[in-house]
Amino acid sequence: MSNQKRRTKITTALFLLGSILALLPLIIKSPYQIHLLIMTGINVMLAISFSILFSAGLITMGPAGFWAIGAYSSALLVMKAGLSFWLSLPLAGISAGLVALIVGLVIVRNPGVAFIVQTMVINMIIVQILGQLEFLGGWAGILGIPNPNSIGPIRFVSKTSYYYLILFLLLVTTAGIYGAYSSRVGRAWRAIKLTPHLAETLGIDLYRYRLLAFVISSCVAGIAGSFYAHYFRSLEPGMFSVFKSIYVQIYSILGGLNFYLIGPVLGSLIMTFVPEFLRVSKEIEPIMTGGILIALVIFLPGGILSLPERLGFFSRPLLSRSRQTGVPPSEQGDH
Amino acid sequence: MPLLEVRNLTKCFGGLSAITELDLDVFHSEILGVIGPNGAGKTTLFNLISGFYPPTHGRVIFEGKNITGLKAHKIAQLGIGRSFQASTLFLKLTVFENVFIGFHMNYEEAAWKSSLHTRSARREERAIRQKVLEILQFMGLVDLKDQIAHNLPHGHQRILGVCIALATHPKLLLLDEPLTGMHPEETSRMLDLIRKVQGRNITIVLVEHNMDAVMQLCDRIVVLNHGRKIAEGLPKEIRDNQEVIEAYLGTEEED
Repeated sequence: MSNQKRRTKITTALFLLGSILALLPLIIKSPYQIHLLIMTGINVMLAISFSILFSAGLITMGPAGFWAIGAYSSALLVMKAGLSFWLSLPLAGISAGLVALIVGLVIVRNPGVAFIVQTMVINMIIVQILGQLEFLGGWAGILGIPNPNSIGPIRFVSKTSYYYLILFLLLVTTAGIYGAYSSRVGRAWRAIKLTPHLAETLGIDLYRYRLLAFVISSCVAGIAGSFYAHYFRSLEPGMFSVFKSIYVQIYSILGGLNFYLIGPVLGSLIMTFVPEFLRVSKEIEPIMTGGILIALVIFLPGGILSLPERLGFFSRPLLSRSRQTGVPPSEQGDH
Repeated sequence: MPLLEVRNLTKCFGGLSAITELDLDVFHSEILGVIGPNGAGKTTLFNLISGFYPPTHGRVIFEGKNITGLKAHKIAQLGIGRSFQASTLFLKLTVFENVFIGFHMNYEEAAWKSSLHTRSARREERAIRQKVLEILQFMGLVDLKDQIAHNLPHGHQRILGVCIALATHPKLLLLDEPLTGMHPEETSRMLDLIRKVQGRNITIVLVEHNMDAVMQLCDRIVVLNHGRKIAEGLPKEIRDNQEVIEAYLGTEEED
């Protein structure tokens, strides 16, 4: 039925998008632009991490903190414990998730403004801990993180190989998160976000579902962190400041907060490429970004993806076919 | 044994007591009306039963089990459903999705299977979608299933609220002013629906201001005033009760 039709449509669209992304390195030869694409990929992962929590009605100011946990634990697991990157990648996700679980047990109890502030403070604390502890490299950070181990003939040296790796990670994450969104888990998150007290009377445990969102969101950030560590091959605490968390929010808001998966992709693409093309100097960039955020919140709170609907290109694109209020479809067509 | 027993229930907000030493029994398959002037504590009573506030004193016992102080979602899981006073719905979602979310507790497949959309999880979801349609059919909203809840007329929104509560398969259903703001035609439709719900062996407690409707619909009535029970009985007993008349007419004339 229409549901199935929609599913095939989405599958086709995703397949097309996937093939375009997979073929991109054949067209783009400049390593610098491939690098920007890789950065976009990392930013998309972080923005998805933000969106997962947003879909459950929570706003985080600290995704960069969990990103740092993933990056550092992966680097240490490989360098000190001698693990393979392919093992440390999921472990980085798990360790970020575990920290989120412990912290979340307390902070998820007070959603709303308290949660926003607490996630921000946690982000700051994580950066401080990383900077203060000498065996984590201190403020100077960690240098010489090895490349991912080769798998057979595939060696991770060229930018293109990293591009395919982040693309693969993104596809897996997106598929997993899409699965959750379209299941009863996603419905429970939506219910909590829209009308929490009604959700409660439906037997939805707000606390557990918020905690689940926090843990999954942090896992995604942690995996992005592991990739980042082995791509950049050096880490320092300053990279993971609250500033980065604010950027992550902008990626999601710019794309469109109600588009949990496409929004982050679009927002990250724009925010990664546009400043580079404009050749904005590093000093001015934060000011520009701040300006974009303020302008967005005032003029386009729904993000770029809300534009078509706002301009009236579609009447109610994804939600329903009919715009009429309260009149059953059978009564509409008679006259 | 009554389905729900409220014993010596007291709720204070600061120094003010909204409910004072209330005793109340709700029996299987009845429709119990809770009436009283504004500020009598009716909605507070619902919030106490459904776990939104913990009581200051007293107990709430459901099916012989003490449920005092349990969280709202636990109480919902035990079989107490409720609809809210205002249009408390998932306003941005369609009618169908509203009721679909209501089925949250009816999944037996694990959440991770549901997320991976395994074959068994998909089969279960299809069955639940069918049940959503059954509820909408039963309550006469099936033609509106693709409408956004926000766009429904008020009367239909109230019915949708009851549909969502029904999706939780409650044994006891608390309806908070289901008839407010309805015109006579909608009111009589809602009354029919409430009787139909009762016919499904669901016990109903309702708070309502529309006296005629309460007298018509309810098997028994409890009258609250200033957080205390001032009368209890059959509709015709309540109608002739002097204290009730004073509580009601007294305050209404003062308004």
